[in-house]
Amino acid sequence: MIARIASLVVKEFIHLRRDWWLPAFMLLGGALELLLIGWATSRPITNLPLMVYDQDQSAASRALIVSLENTGTFDLLRQAPNLDAIQAAMERGEINAALVIPPDFSAQILSQGGRPALPVMLNGAESVSARAALQAVEGVAGALNERIVVRRLGIDEEAFRGFTPGLRVWFNENLKESYYTTPAELGLMLEFTVLLFAALSFSRERELGTLEQLLVMPFSSLEIIIGKSIPVILIGFFDFLLMLGMVHFVFDVPVRGSLALLLVLALGYLMVELGKGLVISVVSRTQHQAFLLVMMIGMTDFMFTGYAAPVESMPRAIQLLANLVPAHHWLNILRGVMLKGAGLDVLWPSLLALAVLGVLIGGFSLAFVRRALN
Amino acid sequence: MQRPIIQTAGLTRVFKNTRAVDSLDLAIQPGALFGLIGPDGAGKTTTLRLLAGLLDITAGSAEVAGFDLGKQPEAAKARIGYMAQQFSLYGELSVQENLRFFSDLYGVPSAQQAGRSERLLRFAGLDGFKDRRAAHLSGGMQKKLALACTLIHQPQILLLDEPTTGVDPVSRREFWNILTDLHLEGTTILVSTPYMDEADRCSQVGLMYSGRLVVCDTPQAIRERIEGEIVALHPQDWQAARRLVAGLPGVSEVQTYGETLLLIVDSARLRLPQIENALQQEGLVYQSARQAPPRMEEAFISLIRRMESEKTPHPEAG
Amino acid sequence: MSLRRIRAVARKEIHHIFRDRSTLFLVLFTPTLLLLLMAYALTVDLQDIPIAVLDLDRSEASRRFAAQITAGNDLTLYAQVESPAEIEALLVRGEIKAALIIHPNFSADLLALRGIPLQIIIDGTEPESGGFAVQHVGRRAEAFVTESLAGQLQAAGVPPEALQAVDLRVRTWYNPSLKPRNDLIPGLLSMILGFPALSVALTLAHEREHGTMEQLMATPIGRWELLLGKMVPYILVGLINTIVIPLLAMAWFRIPFNGSFPLFFGLSAIFLFAILSMGIIIGVFMRTQAAALALSFLLIFFPGFFLTGIFFPIAAMPEIVRLESLFLPGTHYAIITRGIFLPGIGLDVLWPYAVMLFFLGLVFTGVAALFFRKKLA
Repeated sequence: MIARIASLVVKEFIHLRRDWWLPAFMLLGGALELLLIGWATSRPITNLPLMVYDQDQSAASRALIVSLENTGTFDLLRQAPNLDAIQAAMERGEINAALVIPPDFSAQILSQGGRPALPVMLNGAESVSARAALQAVEGVAGALNERIVVRRLGIDEEAFRGFTPGLRVWFNENLKESYYTTPAELGLMLEFTVLLFAALSFSRERELGTLEQLLVMPFSSLEIIIGKSIPVILIGFFDFLLMLGMVHFVFDVPVRGSLALLLVLALGYLMVELGKGLVISVVSRTQHQAFLLVMMIGMTDFMFTGYAAPVESMPRAIQLLANLVPAHHWLNILRGVMLKGAGLDVLWPSLLALAVLGVLIGGFSLAFVRRALN
Repeated sequence: MQRPIIQTAGLTRVFKNTRAVDSLDLAIQPGALFGLIGPDGAGKTTTLRLLAGLLDITAGSAEVAGFDLGKQPEAAKARIGYMAQQFSLYGELSVQENLRFFSDLYGVPSAQQAGRSERLLRFAGLDGFKDRRAAHLSGGMQKKLALACTLIHQPQILLLDEPTTGVDPVSRREFWNILTDLHLEGTTILVSTPYMDEADRCSQVGLMYSGRLVVCDTPQAIRERIEGEIVALHPQDWQAARRLVAGLPGVSEVQTYGETLLLIVDSARLRLPQIENALQQEGLVYQSARQAPPRMEEAFISLIRRMESEKTPHPEAG
Repeated sequence: MSLRRIRAVARKEIHHIFRDRSTLFLVLFTPTLLLLLMAYALTVDLQDIPIAVLDLDRSEASRRFAAQITAGNDLTLYAQVESPAEIEALLVRGEIKAALIIHPNFSADLLALRGIPLQIIIDGTEPESGGFAVQHVGRRAEAFVTESLAGQLQAAGVPPEALQAVDLRVRTWYNPSLKPRNDLIPGLLSMILGFPALSVALTLAHEREHGTMEQLMATPIGRWELLLGKMVPYILVGLINTIVIPLLAMAWFRIPFNGSFPLFFGLSAIFLFAILSMGIIIGVFMRTQAAALALSFLLIFFPGFFLTGIFFPIAAMPEIVRLESLFLPGTHYAIITRGIFLPGIGLDVLWPYAVMLFFLGLVFTGVAALFFRKKLA
């Protein structure tokens, strides 16, 4: 049986060599894409174009502008001559935020009971940037506020610790973006690679009419499935190693837990995705259909990896659904092992969930694919 | 003599390291039914694809319907009907829709479209299957539909690449009847075929061997190219008989057809008695031994063998 | 160029889509499904973030503060813990996203105006929730300080507002509640409507794989005719979705639409032309559908998702990527859709993006036609 499976695997690889684009994309495409996207997006949100209408033109107003620029979040596009200019620039989407400093700004600061007003306009048409801008503005305003309050109330500056809570970030002390973006991006690339590759395995042969030929050969359906699966797993695993290396060496994301554990679990996860891919593969008559199904399933899964929105905030029903998504548990494991240094004692619920899903999906896919092949 | 409608000079096509077509000089007269024969890999398909403007020419030139293929391939394409070796119509379209598609692509005047496709469907015996999807037709019907699609714009030239391969004998016969009709109407047809009986139906036959046109003549003349005469022998034990007769003087070649041996001899009259003698001496029983007229098949095999032996010359042949 | 040939190719392509029910279903409804998915899962408003509270002060004030923090939907008290070790365990397990430590002298320091001894710990592996918790706690702390000290300050003759000296008046234009859904859905339209581009990438490879390309190339069809003919059906599918998807977004998800619908429709058509041309280019270069698929994921799908400024602002990307994003139709279209949906701006502002999209479409189709050779090898 092993020799027969080996001959099938060899046939698959010969096939792949002839159409070398596909394995090249599968192997290197994901990693290169991860490099590009990781490089582009794993950084703080900076350089948001800002416009300031400084009616005060005082030392205090200039200091405020400088401290806004020092947050790094903003890039002062230009001073606005009037409110209309702000309105126009905002409409054009040229700026993400605008600040108006009223003429009495410094006078209000210096007076004992004055309240310096600070109107800020945010461009809600880009909510991600708007939220980053809001956070930066609030930070600067808070600091200014504290300075004023300390002075006015005659608080002892030495002893004063501030009215804002202290912050500590665990597992990612410097709050490096790459720590949280790249593992999710890795998960996405890996899932799509394996799913797509597995989904094409049978649908492609069926569309091109070579499946019949394979079925009349003296292989059992189990042998055919294993023969088809091995290249997918091999390429998927190699792809994972490549991407993991990239995340670690290029983006400096640590692997704090056990690498061996991570690799073993990765293999397990790949098998689960393989099972899904094979089911797609036999229900699709054409590669086009297989692709559309991969797209839908892959995107659904991506929603639950916590990349764009935390699962906790989703509606209850969708949270339950998230538990059925292998990628959700896999990302838990990936983040847990890499960033939190977690071991099996901590990760066992995710592992258990993945194992249960694996048995269900694997069993179903094996039975289903075998029936479809017979 | 008219100006040839297909003419190539030193036509060459190189794939990686193989010269699939090697300095081909071909001249086909308008109205000819030209059969292209040759073993697999001789360059027949490449030649047809080159003439259909589907491949770049590596060297040399080709002129089809008065257009230089290097310069005006699209103008030539409008005058060519090309039929590929594999089924290459749209399986999910019906018979009618396939015809309509190609008539649109070739710009068949709308007024004539219905009439023409009607006629072609009848001509091809497909009028009962108009709405059937092409994928659901039998192999023979698919070939006939493909032919109908290549005829929709009434091309001056038909290029057919092994149109009857994988088709049952009845459909094959029908297909050739259609070709003969087209030939009679004056269409120039260049058809490649692995069947020698088909080559026999052509007005001219070209034999290709490793990218070259080695013989180009009428079927009659090609048959007569066999140097010597043919003796047909039906022995009981053909393997023993074959070993024996191959070594007899005057026997230049032995071809096996089932249990029949065809011997090419320098003179049938002289050698027939000698062969019979030898067989009797060895005690080999045979049903019949007689002189037979040369067929295309024997001529073809004989020519190919000669080519192959020239390629790898025997030491004693020199 | 002959319209009749373009029409013939387009008709054939439509037959191809329509003959197979499941393909038809998938082609027509995948965009809608993508919209639903993205709207429900990707653009949620942050809420119910699980946190733990470690109250070391155990004063009346600290208890009141802790209760205020977890009131409402924003943060959920997952556990009241007794030691930092418990926090660590919960964070490692991912059961909480943030933890609040109220230090022993919380109420004393507060009343003595020495500050507010609070510490927040967040899970740096998913900092979005943590960051939200920080912001939330910060605001509540501010309010709590003002409230707690009101009496004391008044007695000292200082108005309570003195603690809130800076009067920060934030106004968010076009999307006052700063709901991510309101701008992400219009932004994601480039992914949703541009989706057929991946199907287009397959069609040329499909002809090659099935051998129909040979017959097609033997006809005098022009390159432009073939390529445009292939795009037309998908532009039609796209235009149907251009009507259905925004209606769905408006009716079901209450996304405001403040601009002109005809303008949106017209610019969407230009976008479809541009993005489908991108698909065509891939089809021109790839011989098999599988390879075309893999490449279109790499060139259209992932960059369209990550590098067009939908989630991550382009302004913050490295120079080279910013340059690259100019060549992605999605970048310009995201500006257009957000502009039309939210501020409701018109062509007077959007024309440069429209021109750029049209230009990209022309360049892409041009490149495709240039490199598409009617030859087999």
